[in-house]
Amino acid sequence: MAPVAYFVRRFLFFLGTLWAAVTLNFLIPRLQPGDPAEAIVSRLAGQSESIDPAQVQAIRVMLGTPDGNLFDQYVQYLGAVLHGDFGISYTYFPYSVTHMIGQALPWTVILVGVTQIISFVVGTLLGTWAAYRRNSRVDSVITLGSTFLGTLPFFWLALLLVYVFAITLRWFPERGGYGGGSSPGWNWLFISDAFQHSVLPAVALLITGPIGWIIGMRNNMVQSLGEDHTRLAVARGLPRRRVAITYGARIAILPNVTGFAIALGGILGGTVLVETVFNYPGMGRLLLESVSSRDYPLMQAIFLFTTIGVLVANFLADLLYGFLDPRVRKVESV
Amino acid sequence: MSTPAPAVPAPGADTEGVQAAATAVARGTRLPGWFVILWRNRKCRIGILMLAAFVLVAVFAPLIAPYDPRDDAFPTSLGPTADHWLGTTAQGEDVFSQLVVGARTSLVVGLAAGVLSTLIGLVVGLTAGFVGGWVDEVLSFLINLGLVVPALPLMVTLAAYAPVRGLWLIIIVISVTGWAYGARIKRSQIITLRTRDYITAARFAGDRTARIIAREIVPNMTSLIVVGFMGAALGAIGGEAGLAFLGLGDPLTVSWGTMLNQASLGGAMLTGQWAWLIAPGLALSLLITSFTLINFGIDALSNPHLRED
Amino acid sequence: MALLEVDHLSVTYTPRDQPANRAVHDVSFHISEGEFVGLLGESGCGKSTLGNAVLRLLSPPARITGGRVTFDGVDLTTADEEKLRELRWVDLSTVFQSSMNSLNPVIRVHAQFADTFAAHKVPGDVTERATELLELVALDRRVLRAYPHELSGGMKQRVALALALALRPKLVLLDEPTTGLDVVVQRGILTRLAELRRELGFAVLFISHDLGTVLEMADRVMVMYGGEIVEDRRAADMLREPRHPYSRGLLGSYADPRLPDVRVSYIPGRPPDLSRPHTGCLFAARCPHVEDACRTTHPDLLPDRHGLVRCLVAQSDRLPVVTLGSADAATTLGSHFPATGTLDRPADAAEAAPVLTVTGVSKRYTTRRGLRTSSVEAVRDVSFALRPGVVTALVGQSGSGKSTLARIVTAVERPTSGEVRFTGDDGTDVRVDRLRGAALRDYRRHVQMVFQDPFSALNPTRTVAYALSRPLANFAGLRGAAARERAAQLLESVGLAPAGQFLDKLPHQLSGGQRQRVVTARALAPDPRVLIADEPISMLDVSIRAEILELLGDLVRDRRLAMLYITHDLLSARLLADEVLVLNQGVLVERGPTREVIGAARDEYTRLLLDSIPNPFAKAAAG
Repeated sequence: MAPVAYFVRRFLFFLGTLWAAVTLNFLIPRLQPGDPAEAIVSRLAGQSESIDPAQVQAIRVMLGTPDGNLFDQYVQYLGAVLHGDFGISYTYFPYSVTHMIGQALPWTVILVGVTQIISFVVGTLLGTWAAYRRNSRVDSVITLGSTFLGTLPFFWLALLLVYVFAITLRWFPERGGYGGGSSPGWNWLFISDAFQHSVLPAVALLITGPIGWIIGMRNNMVQSLGEDHTRLAVARGLPRRRVAITYGARIAILPNVTGFAIALGGILGGTVLVETVFNYPGMGRLLLESVSSRDYPLMQAIFLFTTIGVLVANFLADLLYGFLDPRVRKVESV
Repeated sequence: MSTPAPAVPAPGADTEGVQAAATAVARGTRLPGWFVILWRNRKCRIGILMLAAFVLVAVFAPLIAPYDPRDDAFPTSLGPTADHWLGTTAQGEDVFSQLVVGARTSLVVGLAAGVLSTLIGLVVGLTAGFVGGWVDEVLSFLINLGLVVPALPLMVTLAAYAPVRGLWLIIIVISVTGWAYGARIKRSQIITLRTRDYITAARFAGDRTARIIAREIVPNMTSLIVVGFMGAALGAIGGEAGLAFLGLGDPLTVSWGTMLNQASLGGAMLTGQWAWLIAPGLALSLLITSFTLINFGIDALSNPHLRED
Repeated sequence: MALLEVDHLSVTYTPRDQPANRAVHDVSFHISEGEFVGLLGESGCGKSTLGNAVLRLLSPPARITGGRVTFDGVDLTTADEEKLRELRWVDLSTVFQSSMNSLNPVIRVHAQFADTFAAHKVPGDVTERATELLELVALDRRVLRAYPHELSGGMKQRVALALALALRPKLVLLDEPTTGLDVVVQRGILTRLAELRRELGFAVLFISHDLGTVLEMADRVMVMYGGEIVEDRRAADMLREPRHPYSRGLLGSYADPRLPDVRVSYIPGRPPDLSRPHTGCLFAARCPHVEDACRTTHPDLLPDRHGLVRCLVAQSDRLPVVTLGSADAATTLGSHFPATGTLDRPADAAEAAPVLTVTGVSKRYTTRRGLRTSSVEAVRDVSFALRPGVVTALVGQSGSGKSTLARIVTAVERPTSGEVRFTGDDGTDVRVDRLRGAALRDYRRHVQMVFQDPFSALNPTRTVAYALSRPLANFAGLRGAAARERAAQLLESVGLAPAGQFLDKLPHQLSGGQRQRVVTARALAPDPRVLIADEPISMLDVSIRAEILELLGDLVRDRRLAMLYITHDLLSARLLADEVLVLNQGVLVERGPTREVIGAARDEYTRLLLDSIPNPFAKAAAG
């Protein structure tokens, strides 16, 4: 009994959001009055004395022919996006935007991907434990602890880590992805160097990362443990652990799974703050750099990449959900 | 975002029950019922008192702050002294004065963006949930789109294109990116409520749709709206701090985010000015704590499963 | 020794913000092996709490505050978790009230059987054993592969019953096992339960609000009121001579609708508030035989004529003698309680010109599921007319299309074909199926509705005065003091007097019956010509149902209203209606004057509905 209707619906939603994101990306720079290219060029001109012709060229390429009407520009833009052509970055001229993203992507994917997975696993387990031992000391420690940590602003926590462990204690390097002595490649020096550089950002991400999963899992599970079917499972003499897992956690984890997929998708863009604090050479810092240097083609491409990443992850989460929760599937009479 | 998802009642939470209890409690006092109920909860009461303290500081900021927060006539990069309790910045401004005035920014952004995104969420959620049909399909699509588009990159991108960098821009950017969550919850709650017989009864009593929504449905969603506002305000305060820390805030406004940005850039860590580094973050943290404590109380009320914790 | 012994058990709810509530107070009883015991009581009397306490499934804020539960020699109240787990389901199993939620929604039925067998290390092939169990409850083995949401409510409840019997327990606790299910489905499940019990010989504690069903099924009946057991007696004795006035009142609310003269009594008033201290008998305020001592002395549950009763009057033998077991039992019982019988209607009523005519109405729903569309005909070619002063009952089980018809008549929905006409007093003629906008609002002035669930029909945040003021403002232009005065009159006309006590109350401060009266008053506010009553008594306690029926009957007579009374319950139709329409799968299968249709049903479906009504007196008469 394939839940075809459900999957078709989710796929249509995916296509719709994809189109909307691409269009949003097209519209944002054009929301300004007048010729957007002119507006951007004149703003750049106002900021720096000399304006690089390459920058003007890059903006023209990004925004399409100014004399063409909006629809022609839109068609042209869609064509470029389909070919993966996002133009030339003018801060890193002559590198293409795609090249720059390719450079930054692995840093973010590894750092944030690993910490997200650890956060999810740890958070879900702790949340399950807290709900299982509801109202016990364990529950209070987990709940209050995560609530307290959750009130700390993330980037401030990261700053304090740098202050204490990098600057005062000098245990870890303070900034960057790797030291000056090594160069990226498959060699031990680089890998150990990169690992050392990633410890503090990873710790920052791991302190706050599990909180959302803990609270979500605990509340969902407290709820599912209160349901009639759980009470009946207890009455049926099922072992307590079995009740907690199959009847409590099995249902409580469903919303978290969806959340996790979206969080994985959010890796691409959700790390602006941590990468800024640690000056880590990933996508977030690239986005911020492109913003401060007004590298519009690069910025647009990163935003689009990020959004598409989240949409794909969201779609995959929907598919997974369709398999995990039979209730969303088509009702079939027996 | 830098803060975890706020405690928001699950869709289908017993908002009617909360409201009925609140209406009953409110009789005989002049205070709104939901406030009386929250005040009875200890955690919530602490949160309300903390928030009230922040509001007082923000309102009387010019009286409390010893100096003009932008006055850079003092010695630079001082540690805490008797004249400058939290030291001075690398430009020679008084950190304590900035801290006091920064409370204003955070609360103004929280209030304005909270109200704005709650309003957007309310209008979209109410319309989608009550009208149904293709209107619901279109609005639900917008809501889901708003939920999946990553907020911070969108904020950064929007802020980058904006011709001016005022506080209002920040507020609008935060509201535009942050309304969807509340809208979704309100939509599902209204779908539950609109099938109630008392809604049909109001139609039979000759009431018009606008009146039914305003007088029959919205009063039963008050707790949801309050929690939604709290969550949105919390998100907005965090969002403003984050944007300002990234250097994308209003350069003319003193806020805790810009203070941390300047502390980071101005070498507070290298000069060992821990007070400059810790104070804004701690203030932000305490403000977030006050919201979290209040939300605890509301959540415990409206979620019967958590009520007896 | 008895299988289950409950000694002086008390359960108290201590919610955070509210006063503590003694839900179960000093309850003692026992159940022997193989015995079928009914535990009877109305909503809020503590019967489900008692059931959960016996199973040790209470969750905060409820907890056992005194007494003991002993099962097969094991003290359940102090047993450790592992001991309890070994005993659960092997010896003591249960079926919950809400069939909707008692199965795990994300695993297949097969897995829920497998879990149960694994927990108790039952050897053998799961599929084979589960299939046998499903056969016991007349379900196909394909159900094993299904997820709970793929099953109907009746099927889920059968699965729950099969699960309960999986390990051949000694005692099965059934908590309202068929409430919320269709009457015909209910009947099927109960019949199967009785057969299984004869075959397998397990004991049953059957918790229900439905005295008719309990008396029909049980060997012995315990009646609970206000957290206490007030009577404990063999079912046959209970039918012959109930000894507690409350039991008598409850029995009085049953009757055989096929009899020539049907009378049903009700118990005025409402149950006691258990969060307040009480002296004296908890039932005193509602009792027709109350004496001075009853208000000061709390009676004990004492032996009385082969049973136990908690009533000072009965214990001192001053209770009027009522001998039941005869066909006119209800009539005799009703003599002590207020009662309502079949109503006399002016003879000319049937000839009056109709106010509302439904002609050849059909309604087809098209649903789109993924890429396929399917359509269901909810109502097919239905015609009838409503006349002033006449109650027309529309009878059918759930899914028969009766609610669809109600929505069409009230112009909430439009028929696919056919027409609905309304004729006003001034001779105006309106095509109801084409109304929109202002004309629709104007039509609603004349056609009003009494809803099924009095807890959902009033906005929890609005006072009674507000609820009544809306139709008065919109249809009569009354505001302020004038509206309040009119609202007070309306309340008194539905028996809520003095009105001043009720105007400023919020719904949760009223009992179910009082709410339903407010709902009725609101429906009367625009002075309508037609009243649609959609199952108005099905959510109310049995003891007050007749009271609301009487009110509706009086209103029809006094105001010459035309009423469409929608119900699945032929007894209430018999009491209230002048004519009956029987609806089966969207088609009218039988119609005519009430007495003819019910007394001599011709259609098979009508007879099925009649047979599904629990009738304890038939058993008494037969036995």
